[in-house]
Amino acid sequence: MKESLLDILCCPLDKHDLELADAEYDGEEVVGGDLVCTECGEAYPIEDGIPNLLPPDMREETPA
Amino acid sequence: MAGDQERAHSRDDVRDTYDRIATHFASTREYAWPEVESFVTSATDRESSGVGLDLGCGNCRHAELLAADCESVVGLDVSRGLIETGRTRALEREFDVELVQGDAASLPLADDAIDVAVYVATLHHLPTRAARRASLDELARVLSPDGRALVSAWSTAHDRFDATEGFDTTVEWTLPGGEPVDRFYHIYAPDEFEADLEDSNLELREWELSSGNCYATVAGDDRSRGR
Repeated sequence: MKESLLDILCCPLDKHDLELADAEYDGEEVVGGDLVCTECGEAYPIEDGIPNLLPPDMREETPA
Repeated sequence: MAGDQERAHSRDDVRDTYDRIATHFASTREYAWPEVESFVTSATDRESSGVGLDLGCGNCRHAELLAADCESVVGLDVSRGLIETGRTRALEREFDVELVQGDAASLPLADDAIDVAVYVATLHHLPTRAARRASLDELARVLSPDGRALVSAWSTAHDRFDATEGFDTTVEWTLPGGEPVDRFYHIYAPDEFEADLEDSNLELREWELSSGNCYATVAGDDRSRGR
C-alpha cells in the first residue's frame, strides 16, 4: 500500500485515524508493519503490502 | 453477544468460501458489466471523480473501469484470495488500485472519503439483513456529499427463481475438478431491495431491473453527518 492511503483509511470499529507502526518499505510501497488505531489501540497487520482491516473477530487465525 | 458471534462466523464463512474458489472464480469474471460501465461513464463525467471505490472488488474488473477516470481507486474485498487475483489483474493490465481487505458492513474508510463507488454483486452475500443494512449505511457514510454509487444485487426477477418474496439460499460453485462449493446468497425481491435502500442513510436516485439484477444509483445523505 501507499502511505498516502492512510489519509482515507480508518479503524473499522470506531472510525478513528490509524497510525503506521513498524513499517517495512519496498521503495514507496509499505509492504509490512501495522496500522494502529489512535483511539482504541487495535493493531491491523499489513500483510505482503495489503492492509488487513477486517474487524478483529473476522480476522483469520492464520494456520502457519 | 450470541447474535454478534453468529453473524461474525457467517461472514467468516463467506470469506473462506471465496478464498477457496478465488482463482477459478476470477478467471470467469473477465469483463465489466455493461450496467457498471454506463454508471461509471456518467458518474465520472461530473467534477468530483477524485477517489473511486470498488466495494467487493473481487478481481478488480470494475476497479479497472474506475481507474481510467478517477485520480485514485480503492479495491476492497473480504477475501484475501480474491484480492490476490485483483493484484494480478492490475499488474497485467497496468492500472493502479490500492487494495484493502475489509468487511462491507464495517468499512475501514473515513467519512466522505469516496467520490464514486460501485457495490456490485456483493450485498447479496452478507448473511443477515442487519449486516446488509449496516453496509448500506456504511456506504452512505463514506460517500462524499456529491458522491455517487451504484448498488446491485441478484433478484427474484431472474429467470432461475420462481419466488416473489426475498429468500436466503446457497448457490453452488463448481471447481474445475468437479468439486461443488456452496455460496450464500440473499435473493432480493425488487420491492424489498428498494425498501432497504429507502430505509438506509443512502439517498435513492433511481433504480432498475436488468438481467435479473436490481441496480440502484444512490447518493450519500445528510442524515449520515453530524452524528
